[in-house]
Amino acid sequence: MTAAARYAGTRVQRVEDTRLLTGRGVFVDDVVRPGMLHAHFVRSPMARGRIRSIDASAALALDGVHAVYTAEDLNPGVREHWYSLIGRNVPDTPRPPLAEGEVRFVGDPVALVVAVDRYVAEDAAELVVVDYEPLTPVVSYVSATESEELVHEAYPRNVAGTLGGRPAEDLAGTFAGAAYDVQETIHQQAYSAVPMETRGLIAEYSAPTREMTIWASTQSPHEVRLFCSRLLGLPEHHVRVVMRDTGGGFGQKAVPQREDMCVMLAALRLPVALKWIEDRQENLSSAGQGRHEHGAARMAFDDDGRILAAAIEHVQDAGAYPVPWPVQTAMVVGLLFPGPYRVPEATFTCTSVFSNTNARAAYRGPWQFETLSREMLLDIAARRMGMDPIELRRKNLLRRDEMPVANPNGMPYDDVTPLETFEHALDLLDYEAFRAEQERARAEGRYLGVGTSTYIEPTTTGMGFLGTEGATIRIEPSGKVNVYVAGGSSGNSLETTVVQLTADALGVDMADVSTIQGDTAITPFGGGTGGSRSGSMIAGAVAETASVLRERLLAIAAHRLEAAVEDLELVGGQAVVRGTPGSGISVAEIADLAYFDTGKLPPGVPPGLEASGRHKGQAPMIWANATHVCTCEVDVETGMVTLLRYIVSEDCGPMINPNVVEGQIAGGTVQGIGGALFEQGVYDEDGNPLTTTFVDYLLPTSTEVPTIEYGHVETPGPGPGGYKGVGEGGAIGAPPAVVNAVADALAPFGVTLTRLPVTPASVVALVQAARDGGPA
Amino acid sequence: MKPAAFDYHAPVDLDEAVGLLGELGEDAKVIAGGQSLVPMLALRLAAVDHLVDLRRVGELRGIEVRDGALWIGAGMTQAAVERSAEVAEAVPLLARATRLIGHFQIRNRGTIGGSIAHADAAAEYPAVALALDAEFEACSPRGRRTLPAREFFTGWWSTALDPDEVLTGISFPRRAGRSGFAIEELARRHGDFAIAGAAVALELDDGERVRRCGIGLFGLGSSVQRAAAAEEALAGAVAADVRPDEIGRTAMTGLDSIPSDLHGPPEYRKRVGAAMVARAWTKALQEARNG
Repeated sequence: MTAAARYAGTRVQRVEDTRLLTGRGVFVDDVVRPGMLHAHFVRSPMARGRIRSIDASAALALDGVHAVYTAEDLNPGVREHWYSLIGRNVPDTPRPPLAEGEVRFVGDPVALVVAVDRYVAEDAAELVVVDYEPLTPVVSYVSATESEELVHEAYPRNVAGTLGGRPAEDLAGTFAGAAYDVQETIHQQAYSAVPMETRGLIAEYSAPTREMTIWASTQSPHEVRLFCSRLLGLPEHHVRVVMRDTGGGFGQKAVPQREDMCVMLAALRLPVALKWIEDRQENLSSAGQGRHEHGAARMAFDDDGRILAAAIEHVQDAGAYPVPWPVQTAMVVGLLFPGPYRVPEATFTCTSVFSNTNARAAYRGPWQFETLSREMLLDIAARRMGMDPIELRRKNLLRRDEMPVANPNGMPYDDVTPLETFEHALDLLDYEAFRAEQERARAEGRYLGVGTSTYIEPTTTGMGFLGTEGATIRIEPSGKVNVYVAGGSSGNSLETTVVQLTADALGVDMADVSTIQGDTAITPFGGGTGGSRSGSMIAGAVAETASVLRERLLAIAAHRLEAAVEDLELVGGQAVVRGTPGSGISVAEIADLAYFDTGKLPPGVPPGLEASGRHKGQAPMIWANATHVCTCEVDVETGMVTLLRYIVSEDCGPMINPNVVEGQIAGGTVQGIGGALFEQGVYDEDGNPLTTTFVDYLLPTSTEVPTIEYGHVETPGPGPGGYKGVGEGGAIGAPPAVVNAVADALAPFGVTLTRLPVTPASVVALVQAARDGGPA
Repeated sequence: MKPAAFDYHAPVDLDEAVGLLGELGEDAKVIAGGQSLVPMLALRLAAVDHLVDLRRVGELRGIEVRDGALWIGAGMTQAAVERSAEVAEAVPLLARATRLIGHFQIRNRGTIGGSIAHADAAAEYPAVALALDAEFEACSPRGRRTLPAREFFTGWWSTALDPDEVLTGISFPRRAGRSGFAIEELARRHGDFAIAGAAVALELDDGERVRRCGIGLFGLGSSVQRAAAAEEALAGAVAADVRPDEIGRTAMTGLDSIPSDLHGPPEYRKRVGAAMVARAWTKALQEARNG
């Protein structure tokens, strides 16, 4: 039944690029509505305080100001605020649209100004007088559990939630009896998604018809629709969400946040559309941050370096108003801590703690700390055991022929190739040659290092909101094809992927296929971008739907050609008799019959060429895996780290488009390099954010990142086409590979690296401390 | 991130510009390339009633030899300085420093006069001007005057210019004798403000002794400054006897108000500064000997 794949697996150019690279993309700020008004938030200047009063009279008197809303105006309008992504049945954390009574971080939205343009709105915001009574903030999540102050009164000790595995005592004997018991507390700083396009939306309400239209910068238009419908108590079919281009999401745009709630609520009160575009300062201080966590990581080894047990006590910063519920995600850190290794026993605890800072938001591989802490600990362990970290990993890494295998926390790994990607990446490096070069360099007083990191990640969940995806395909009367999927592309090439897969499934040219995405009024329901699911789920949806149309195309063709269906194939936009070129009938001719000449259709074949189908994930998740290898040189005089080579060997199954796969790997890897060396959301001791512009929040740029080299191992997964997810892995694997490379370079000094980011000053301080003889 | 409202003026010549500044007084601010001022306005860290834009003032443009020195109009973009063959030949230190300023998009708009008048303590051009003993020309309603670089930088983002005074041009001594030049800086990323840096302008006599060595430091205080102790130690010294790391350390003596920020404490900056001086010295010496 299947035609030979033509586009899948090839480096097809992205169909999005013509408009994006010529500046013709349509982002939410490009959308202009008649009479549209502009929103700007008055935000808290202090980390914690009681709101005594708000006086908006001067702001309201300013020419061009339409309204100033406070919590009193907007918050009572909230009906429900749970996310489809998480479900209604979790003990979710507080999420008021505007601060009510108390402000809980610098940037907490206190009032919403509506004006004729953003300039006037910002002028007016300066005129809103808020009288605060300062309260002692809980700035550090680390000491928050001991603080007398509470971020939210309902949460004693500031704990949002704790989940754990087996009792730690179960493993006490194993650790006590082990040849090596290695433990270290690893700290990761706060850093964020930093999408090129900040958050934003337009909400336009038509009171007579009770219809709300939203133009959004989002990863999931259907989540925005459902959320808005529940928030405002509008029927779902009265809410339409539209998006064309979204300039990056990385989790930050997975679900609507408090500002989105405010704009939706305010729009109900306005006769025209209301636009809010977040600025960069707001994005860096209020859009949510990721990471910011620490964990006491521990592993037991036998004499030969075989792992006997693994345990982690993980604590993460939830900030003031986390999105979505952080407790469940945190547990994945514990569940996956054993990683891609043979680990007989394991346990964990994962705790989320509130603080008076920016919210914890989903960020590309939200559970990434399991890889960071494990891979850093393995390098530390290898040095303590006097073993090459590569040898230590070789002894313990799982191989493909051991699959399926469950990790000790019950994670059912399958179709993964940890050892295979590991060896592949080391081959690409030529590990032995690097070690020789390193030795020569050390003799000259130059310090080179190599670090690796190997992980297994869950992708493409088959459960809940993200567990299905639909597609509608319309072969139009001219034979041209439109494919409708939910969309939510935030730069991840969903259009190219859909067009490639559909063209293959119907045997037509890619140029004859267009895709329509991101409009809830016309596309099937779907979960959007998140959880490394798009490629695999969309492949399923397209396959499901296209098979119906293939059958119909072939039935009509067989009838017209007086051939047996089994003898026909769809190729080159034609249904042809196999092995008989020129014998066929084009898809355009079949479409013409299907719509305009229905009397000539075979009995039982319905008119038209439209179909909808829905794919349901068959496995609870599809596992993907990769190994990152990084080399660097460290200038021990200044502490400067220069990355030399960066290699990723990954297994995301067969690749639909290697360009897209490598683009995903590169993007994630660069974010991970940022986390290892540059990016950091910093607060002072009073809870003031210090990194709210790109002067202070350092993103890696092209000059700091080496050329990324790729290796591909393609092991089919259980899903359609064998495709696995690849969206998040780069950001998971990169930080430990970079940090381990630096630690390896500094090994001659006896330095132990346990804190990110590795800044030049921190390198100098570590080397200095080691030279002074103290423990680093 | 939208600036508060202001009035915009675009005078066509220097007289008009200076006249406007005299008339508007402290309510006015000069704008050249706007690479520092515009973000500050957008962030509302600064607010002005009047912006006086110098981009149309022709007297601020040009690169030419005047009175034996290379004169560069204050309105020349960093990109123009970077591309100038005359600058590369006569003032190589300036050419080398330019590549370290921001990114090319910034250099396409940013001007040499703007860099110097903005007087960021971590900026390259002010340090180069110091190391070379450049002279600054300024014009105000009271007339024109010349200020030596040494007297120009007076503290955090402040200079000897009066509020109604416009920097019109900079005169750099042209390369002569057995000279060598180098600028070294450490920045977290390419194009960032330096954590610390040093510009070294060295001239040797025929006996391999130091005839003149100017060292401009940046990122190491409230303004750019000369490494006085190191310059003194180098004067007349036999170049071969100079230990670079020692000169680096000497250059860090007597520095007060070394900044402390997210990139590190003063001690760290000092260590980096010493390394940058040592490296710049070594490179400059090599060029002086070979060139």
